[in-house]
Amino acid sequence: MVKVYRSTILEAPIEVVWDILRDFNGHDRWHPLIARSAVERGYPSDKVGCVRSFELQDGSKLRERLLTLSDLETAFSYCLHDTPLPLFNYVAHVRLTPVTDQNWTFWEWESRFDPPPDRRDELTALVGENVYQSGFDAIRATLELESE
Amino acid sequence: MARVFVSTVINAPADRVWDRIRDFNGLPKWHPRIRDSRIEDALPADQVGCIRNFNLQNGNNIREQLLGLSDYDMFTTYAILDSPMPVEDYIATLRLTPVTDGARCFAEWSAEFSVDPDIESEWIANIGGDVFQGGFDALKRHFGG
Repeated sequence: MVKVYRSTILEAPIEVVWDILRDFNGHDRWHPLIARSAVERGYPSDKVGCVRSFELQDGSKLRERLLTLSDLETAFSYCLHDTPLPLFNYVAHVRLTPVTDQNWTFWEWESRFDPPPDRRDELTALVGENVYQSGFDAIRATLELESE
Repeated sequence: MARVFVSTVINAPADRVWDRIRDFNGLPKWHPRIRDSRIEDALPADQVGCIRNFNLQNGNNIREQLLGLSDYDMFTTYAILDSPMPVEDYIATLRLTPVTDGARCFAEWSAEFSVDPDIESEWIANIGGDVFQGGFDALKRHFGG
């Protein structure tokens, strides 16, 4: 099992960032890898247990289930069901924490999963950089646009 | 229970900031409100259960016991045993977390305690401001922001 951990500081209040992130069906609006998102069975996207179905920019599809969602902790977690990549037993956590003396946000995104041994380095880099860090950068850009 | 939570971003990698704050007997080295400190019974300062006995610049004496220390997760947890403050059951945690996309870290300092409701907001402000934010401001000055 490998662990991937990425974190960043966003110079925006936690309420603003959480308002964007808490929508489990909204990641196609900001994440550059994701072309389309739909929650199956017409469930609300804040119903714990709901499944989102993604179509990525390259046309591949994956499904993820919302495991926990907490407005108190400003956090959610999810697991991967069907994926074009061999990320077995993948469970990820997203958590926001306020930076109280600046009214900023500390954002952590981490996961554990089992990759095939010969693709371990490739897949940990892909998850950390292409998914998490590029997600940080996309939200940062979104917030800068909104504040202009 | 009253709860205080204060957090900041320090412009230095977490391991460098941890080097400065991990010593349970080292408050006078970095916190401007603390004049001197010693560990009772000559125990090592990283022995969980040890008691630090320190004096503030204003002469007040406080005794605190180390409840938890982790170099891996970079946190320290402690309880107040004796102090002139009107708080009971006081437990606090100081924690550092790396910010992976820059050479800086996230620092959080939180506490829970019992206090008379009439003076609760005053003591939340005192502890969060003078003690926690005061310590963070000193660290930020030391590390250049």
